[in-house]
Amino acid sequence: MKEFLRMENMSKKFGEVYANREINLSIMEGEVHTLLGENGAGKSTLMNILTGLYQPTGGSIYLHGKKVKIDSPSKAVKLGIGMVHQHFMLVEALTVFENIILGITKDKSIFIKKDAIKNEILELADRYGLDIEIDKAITEISVGAQQRVEILKALYRGAELLILDEPTAALTDIEVEGLFKIIRKLTAENKSVIFISHKMREVLEISDRITILRTGQTIKTLTKDKTEEAELANLMIGKELVSSEYKKVMKTKENILSLEQVSFNKTSKHNGISEISLNVGKGEILGIAGVDGNGQSQLAQIVTGVIAPDSGNVILNTNKIAKFAPIDFINSNVSHIPEDRNKMGLIGNMSVRENLILKSLNKKRISAGKGLYLKRKAIALYAKEMKEKYDIRCASIDMELRNLSGGNQQKIVLARELEEEPKLLVAVHPTRGLDIGATKYVHDKMIDSRDKGCGILLISADFDEVLKLSDRIAVMFEGQVVGVYSGENPPINEISLAMSGKAK
Amino acid sequence: MKLKNTLIKILVPILSVICSFLVGAIMITFIGGNPADAYKFLFRGAFGSTANIGETIVKSVPLIFTGLAATFAYKCGVFNLGAEGQFTMGAVTSIWISTVVTGITGIPLLILSLTGGIIAGGIWGAIPGILKITRGLNEIIVSIMLNYVAVLFMGYLYSSPLREGSVPQTAAVAVKLGRIMNGTRVHAGIIIALIIAVGIYYFLFFTAGGFKLRAVGLNQTAARFNGYSVKKFILLSFIISGAIAGLGGSVELHGTQFRLMSGFGAGYGFDGVAIALIGQLNPIGTVLVAYLFAVLRAGATTMQVGSGMPTSVVDIIQALIIVFAVAGSAFTNLPKTRQFLSNMLSKQNRKEKEEWKQC
Repeated sequence: MKEFLRMENMSKKFGEVYANREINLSIMEGEVHTLLGENGAGKSTLMNILTGLYQPTGGSIYLHGKKVKIDSPSKAVKLGIGMVHQHFMLVEALTVFENIILGITKDKSIFIKKDAIKNEILELADRYGLDIEIDKAITEISVGAQQRVEILKALYRGAELLILDEPTAALTDIEVEGLFKIIRKLTAENKSVIFISHKMREVLEISDRITILRTGQTIKTLTKDKTEEAELANLMIGKELVSSEYKKVMKTKENILSLEQVSFNKTSKHNGISEISLNVGKGEILGIAGVDGNGQSQLAQIVTGVIAPDSGNVILNTNKIAKFAPIDFINSNVSHIPEDRNKMGLIGNMSVRENLILKSLNKKRISAGKGLYLKRKAIALYAKEMKEKYDIRCASIDMELRNLSGGNQQKIVLARELEEEPKLLVAVHPTRGLDIGATKYVHDKMIDSRDKGCGILLISADFDEVLKLSDRIAVMFEGQVVGVYSGENPPINEISLAMSGKAK
Repeated sequence: MKLKNTLIKILVPILSVICSFLVGAIMITFIGGNPADAYKFLFRGAFGSTANIGETIVKSVPLIFTGLAATFAYKCGVFNLGAEGQFTMGAVTSIWISTVVTGITGIPLLILSLTGGIIAGGIWGAIPGILKITRGLNEIIVSIMLNYVAVLFMGYLYSSPLREGSVPQTAAVAVKLGRIMNGTRVHAGIIIALIIAVGIYYFLFFTAGGFKLRAVGLNQTAARFNGYSVKKFILLSFIISGAIAGLGGSVELHGTQFRLMSGFGAGYGFDGVAIALIGQLNPIGTVLVAYLFAVLRAGATTMQVGSGMPTSVVDIIQALIIVFAVAGSAFTNLPKTRQFLSNMLSKQNRKEKEEWKQC
């Protein structure tokens, strides 16, 4: 096999921090090469360099052995590098055809030769088994079909190397099989694929070689046949995987939160929920498993008062909620670790100290005279205490929050949300983007709170996290709860099936 | 880190002023003047005598008010470009009170009149706020449009119902703000302006309300998730911003102009926005920049008379300050510049790194 592309000593610095440090990667013609790494290992940065979105701080890229400089996305396309992003870059109102030809000027005529181009596209689609409906609008086709459109789009632009960023995250099992068939056809035609995924089973099924990234560096490149799941996991994490086991508890009789037939934006499969009934007991963790975008966000926002359901009852601690406003939930001691900490939880341009007291401004220890005077000294003292207690690593409590790492930002959210001894904690992707150490810390804190009697609704796209923490597991699919299982010895196969919509 | 940011925030306006004067000097040379001469007369005009110093202060008063109005709204993340209209409505209300209210005079009437200005400005500011939070209308467009409504309404008043004599202007107000400096026109308005500035500073940085308002301005979604009523704060910021501008109009009327006529308050709203931006959205910075603008205005005429340079040179310098300040702020936000600046302040940097190691 000939080498298609090689990246040598690629480095990318953001400020003082290396996102990529002397990474070496070589892609052969016709191979599926997987990039494996935890969140924040530097995969996205590397791919953004390859597609011309970022300029590297150092290092060089060779294409067919010749040194190239990829200084813009259009240059990357010209060199035959195509990417299918995790979140598709399609214009929803346009048709499949229009999306594919968007931005291409193959001939100089001012008219678009529709029929000729359409035939060309359909031929291409046929060759790789990409089943598409060319005249349908993007909104009318399924997620799997949208992905095929993205792949076709890249191929039509002459891609020789296709980067697939977490392509299976939003797909059902059958769709994943379809995707793998397409990938195999591509490699049979000598095209290369960079596959990015966390799912070991898939990685081992489809890859020829696997490169593991950790903290921005290449750790090792392995051939599939010569490795196994445990080795990959250990390389990825950097130490022997110590699975800390948490004791599971039985559901208590008393509920802190009950949902009765709650619906919101019912017709949408991905942005709504449909007649959900759930209970979270006191001192219990109810985990919600499911592929991202099956209504979990809406569920979290309803039980924290950010949005109001269209119908159904939400009962919080025996009170039926009539008015949905975040402040009322906060006052009833509901804490929220929101899914997007930067957008929803924290204020990047405010200091660490200010972010810590966002919710407790009117407390006596923070302010006097109904908030007319903020007790600066007391606040500084409190912030320093939190910094110690939650191990928030920052130069000073006056540092702007955006300069902290994701893990430390999350610890600030945690400090703020857990310090008030909540009765209900709604935690959405609580460890997304965190390294293993911070993750364990967050998990320990959540178990601590549970043991103190706090009811926890855990929503996570990380199935392992749900399995590890939950006392009971509910599965969401297309806005519905399709099954509730015990957290003690959970029937993993059954749950996986339920997550892909095939519950019995 | 905090010190460094503060330093940059102070440096940017100062450097912009210096650069503007330098470019201004080049320009003066090109049109055949002597920059040193022109600037000498400019500063003589602003500081040459007690009367001149006083006049500069007088000119700064309305600019402080509209600058603070813009600052306040910006802090909540909304744009109030309607300060001119609110300023005008404040003055209009004061004139109206002065005309229709009988039976009280002196200080009580003054207080009533100023309060009227505050309320009118607040109402005028509330309109774009209400339309934004209930209907999602763009506050920039609504507030600018309301400027025209206010100015034309004022025109109607001084040329028809409230007209006095043959010239299109209203009668003078019944009660005036007291002079506070002998031999000058400086009136108590400057004290009111400074109190308001300090008050806003305290509110923004020392109270829970100000904290929340800034939080809403910096990240609405996070503010909402953390239980703040975003809409309430947006409306509040509009009302207070408008009230400050309205009080400014009222003060200007009672302290300097005494009557409404064509051109009253013209341009103050937009100058206020520029002043707020150059002042780095800090109430105290706003006061200082407003004073600087007043210096330029007070000196412009003397410069024209003394050196023959047209007053428009000063307008250009003023515009250059805005350009440099905005460019400077954007420039300091570039990662490369930040890197460079932190290297420049390497002593500070080393200390920071040590702190990093410690934790």
